[in-house]
Amino acid sequence: MPKLKGFNGEDRYNFLLALVGYLGHRGEVSLAEVSEHFNLDEGYVVKALTSLNEATATVGGFEEWPFYVDLDLLDEGVISLTTAEVIDDVPRLSTRQAAAISSGLSYLATIPEFAGSTEIPALIRMIAAGSSRGGGEIISIAPGSVEAGAETIRSAILENRIISCEYINRKGEKSVREIEPLRLDVQAGVWYLRGYCPINKGVRNFLIEHMRSIEILPRTISPEASEVGEIEDATYSAEVTDTTVTIEVAPEAYRLISDFQTVTEPKDLGSGTIRAEIKVGHLPNIGRLIAKYGGAARVISPPEAREFVKAYALQALGEASTLETPEVE
Amino acid sequence: MAIEASWKPAKTDKSERLFQLTCVLLYSERGLTKRELFHAVDSYREVSSDEDDVALNKKFERDKSDLREMGIQVSNPDPKSEPDDIRYTISADTFAWPEDVKFDRRQLQLLNLAAQVWAQASLSSDANRGLVRLRGLGIEPGASDLAGFAPRLRTHEPSFLPLSQAVEERIEVSFDYRKPDGEVSRRSVQPWILRNVDGQWLLVCWDKSQNSVRNFLLKRIVSKVAFRSEQISETEKTVINFTAPTSEDVAAALADLTRHTESQVATIRVKKDTPAWFHFQLDSQDPTADISISYMDGHLLAEQLSEYASDLTVISPPELSRIIRARFEAVASAHA
Repeated sequence: MPKLKGFNGEDRYNFLLALVGYLGHRGEVSLAEVSEHFNLDEGYVVKALTSLNEATATVGGFEEWPFYVDLDLLDEGVISLTTAEVIDDVPRLSTRQAAAISSGLSYLATIPEFAGSTEIPALIRMIAAGSSRGGGEIISIAPGSVEAGAETIRSAILENRIISCEYINRKGEKSVREIEPLRLDVQAGVWYLRGYCPINKGVRNFLIEHMRSIEILPRTISPEASEVGEIEDATYSAEVTDTTVTIEVAPEAYRLISDFQTVTEPKDLGSGTIRAEIKVGHLPNIGRLIAKYGGAARVISPPEAREFVKAYALQALGEASTLETPEVE
Repeated sequence: MAIEASWKPAKTDKSERLFQLTCVLLYSERGLTKRELFHAVDSYREVSSDEDDVALNKKFERDKSDLREMGIQVSNPDPKSEPDDIRYTISADTFAWPEDVKFDRRQLQLLNLAAQVWAQASLSSDANRGLVRLRGLGIEPGASDLAGFAPRLRTHEPSFLPLSQAVEERIEVSFDYRKPDGEVSRRSVQPWILRNVDGQWLLVCWDKSQNSVRNFLLKRIVSKVAFRSEQISETEKTVINFTAPTSEDVAAALADLTRHTESQVATIRVKKDTPAWFHFQLDSQDPTADISISYMDGHLLAEQLSEYASDLTVISPPELSRIIRARFEAVASAHA
């Protein structure tokens, strides 16, 4: 992961407090280690330390210097905070920080990997105890559904091994394929495998519910697959051959916009309607994608895309359509 | 390593001011009056000459509320003092972690994964700031056997953030809500908790006009969320706070929601070897299979089933077929 170059406002304030607490715990420590630990650029850590060093507090008519960082040592890449009179630990978590982390934990607890584990409930209790102010839960997560096969794929990812499986496309056609698995994604109860496809020579998304007879092969993944860096969270990634489709969505269908990578900044048309341009790989898919929102999403252009949506809806209604059945991969 | 000359953050960056305010408050054991604070913090002192007291007070109040949001509790131990004599301090336990809260490497690794659940969703910055504090405790996360695993919560709804704040701070809100039949009405509620069910966000709340607990789907909120407020003087307004529900009340509301979902069951006939067949993880030699699905909301189920329109038939209830049909008719006419 590339190191952050720094941040401002609340994030910076939060980091300054955490840094003082950390240096209190660690004592003398190398700049490289601090930068690694907080995943921050070394230059930024130095800036933060300088800020601490320069901090003054005028109390009772006297100017106090709460922190002293040894700048000679810092020049050699060693951090030493020799006085930290007022702050001796990291502040407890704010209510929102605790809520964000503990709801993240609750979400993990709904996933088979962690279901029934006692470590998550124990952590949730510790996070609540470590928050600045008690108070009720802000967010709660209902248990989700279990996906068979996910566990096998997880083991393959951890062992860097290639898998083979029967993959069923949307037309119900089966094929046996090899996938070099990289990451398992769970979003809204849907499990995806982000894997390197040796045929397409790139990262592809596979719906785990469409995989059968998953087997871990005795071969490790290729250099090409292991060199894949960060994988984008968006499940649709745009390609040059994609068609740009202009859509308008009501709040009930905002999800469409976050599921796709939009081409231009979505535009608010007022009264909740948003216009956006999305990239669609296989245009006939647009029918299924748009129709599920029951009128809350509308294709504006191109006309072929509108036709596909209309045809999908009419076919579902059992009415004759002028277009062939939408082809889906 | 050379220290860069331009280490100072932008002048507009409030982190310096908040940090100095925190240090000053921590220095003074018996607390500081506003007058003393305005003298002690550089950027307060700088403004005091050309701005009046009202502006300065406003700034201080805003900073205090920023600190509170970050979990730094500024309090005045003796609230009965005259306004000019009120002394502000930071509660002693703000920087003291309970004895039994000690994380090990494996736990920190799990906390990392839990924070990443919010990547690119509404609470990502709070999750990350929390993680920075947990890292400040000095533990190095364990070697990652959790790699290759990226569970994500999504928030597509602009109402998520204001509602989470309103739940946290017990503030009454109002918003326009559009029922599936298209009818829009203004709702005034006391928000209790946000609940995620199969990826859908719900607000569980006390509906003031209905005088009962209600659940609202965030995606059907079609206006901005307004914090309700009352006039306290000619110039000032304040939000309307409500008394927190008991945890029993919240648990009962969530249990009701689960019971409601369990009580509504649809029967669907699925064609063999279609995408729907695989979606529902069916396995049988027959050309079709009937499945029962319990559902929270007919329109949400209709939305889910619409993806597999040609793979399945609704056996019951008839209402569900009607909804699916109406939705496809709306799609067809929107694209006519």
